[in-house]
Amino acid sequence: MRGTRVIITAQNLKWAYHAANAMTGFATSVIGCGVEAGIERELSETETPDGRPGVAILMFAMGSKVLMQQLETRMGQCILTCPTAAAFSGIDSEDMISLGKHLRYFGDGFQTSKQISGKRYWRIPVMDGEFLTQETTGMVRAIGGGNFLILATSQAQALQAAETAIEAMKKVPNVIMPFPGGVVRSGSKVGSKYKTMFASTNDAFCPTLKGLTKTELSPEIESVMEIVIDGLTFEDIALSIKLGIEAICTLGDNSGVKRISAGNYGGKLGPHLFKLHEILK
Amino acid sequence: MSALTFTLKANLSQPVDCRALTPNLLAGLSIAQINAIKLGTQKVTDLFEVSGSDTEQIVFKNSTAKLDYIGFKMSRGSIIITDDAGNFLGAHLQKGTIICQGNAGDRVGDQMRRGLILVDGNAGDYVASRMIAGTIGVYGKVGSYIGFNMKRGTLLLTQKPTLHATIQDCGTHNLPFLALLFASFKQLTSVFNQVESQRVQRFGGDLACGGVGEILLILT
Repeated sequence: MRGTRVIITAQNLKWAYHAANAMTGFATSVIGCGVEAGIERELSETETPDGRPGVAILMFAMGSKVLMQQLETRMGQCILTCPTAAAFSGIDSEDMISLGKHLRYFGDGFQTSKQISGKRYWRIPVMDGEFLTQETTGMVRAIGGGNFLILATSQAQALQAAETAIEAMKKVPNVIMPFPGGVVRSGSKVGSKYKTMFASTNDAFCPTLKGLTKTELSPEIESVMEIVIDGLTFEDIALSIKLGIEAICTLGDNSGVKRISAGNYGGKLGPHLFKLHEILK
Repeated sequence: MSALTFTLKANLSQPVDCRALTPNLLAGLSIAQINAIKLGTQKVTDLFEVSGSDTEQIVFKNSTAKLDYIGFKMSRGSIIITDDAGNFLGAHLQKGTIICQGNAGDRVGDQMRRGLILVDGNAGDYVASRMIAGTIGVYGKVGSYIGFNMKRGTLLLTQKPTLHATIQDCGTHNLPFLALLFASFKQLTSVFNQVESQRVQRFGGDLACGGVGEILLILT
């Protein structure tokens, strides 16, 4: 996978989140959305290039071409349009991809560039004043699809455990959990009985199919939640998995969580294997 | 390595063309070679006491308004002028930073393409004339016809100038890029390192040459 980080700032955090939420919307899975994206963390005024509050977002795609296309489209529709928002590179790399490089043409000839401390920025006149964006951001090799499954005796308890894990995992830099609230209820397996589908429901973990398929679930399991993690390095993802599982463990015996598992898809889904026992040592 | 420093030995009666004394032209030269460089009819050694060795950082001391073309076609590094500079300071500047801690003459940044020129004192006529891009700041007063035939680029001022007809008032604004620009000034030995206000009156032009340059009057 390829990944990038963009820093979005605005007049206040409220508008930085409006911009970031729009930019990372409909970006849960590369299968259907092209990219997986999410808010990595909040940034204070001292952490942003322009001294305003902001957020860092991470965006991942299967290849550089898709990442570049999606980044430009989302910049144009979500950041350019958002009042007071500005965008800056959040990661350096030898591979730099367009952030505002092509978006500048929206300025219809009134756009101006400014090189400050060796970095090029574009100033595009818009109706609320000026939209400021850095010309490029870095693109790096990244890893997607790290995951673990929470098996619990009820849906409510599975979700409660997942929420607890997500709160702990949000503190880890360089990772995002791209699904709604960080949690997936529709984990998939590779392939399907239908020729046009290359992924379908993970029937082995569907509690309502326990008697009908080769199940992975013991009788008391009534609900399974999955947390998927994308990150810049193997170590980042492994750390977030560790903290997430440890957080679930703090809930104690009455949490309803009976087992933590993971989808390895027969090793068909990529070169990286996150072995939970080793991660938790 | 300390900055390569040119200390003027005596007051000059005639202007001296200093265009040979830029980081890109002096790189790799020894002090002896630098002393032998001809500036018009005289050699460097006749005019300046030369010390230091870092050609990427050049300092002019005891400088006067007779020193013209300082930083002409400079393409890297920095020049600091501790006193006054003459005409055509930073003309045709390609890249790098020039700081004049005194006053500068006419045509500051004439046809500059990129880079930064800051003048802590006053500047003469035709500041930013034929400017292609880059940034110029003048903390003191400026003369007439500033931004004449300016195509792009930014001229920062702190005092209201007299503008010619083809520079137009675009109103008063908060410009976000100034936060980045002023943050980059913090490390410079110029009075501009204290500027923080992002509120400016913006003048656009020079419309006589289809320019999208700007003159920003910093408001406090």
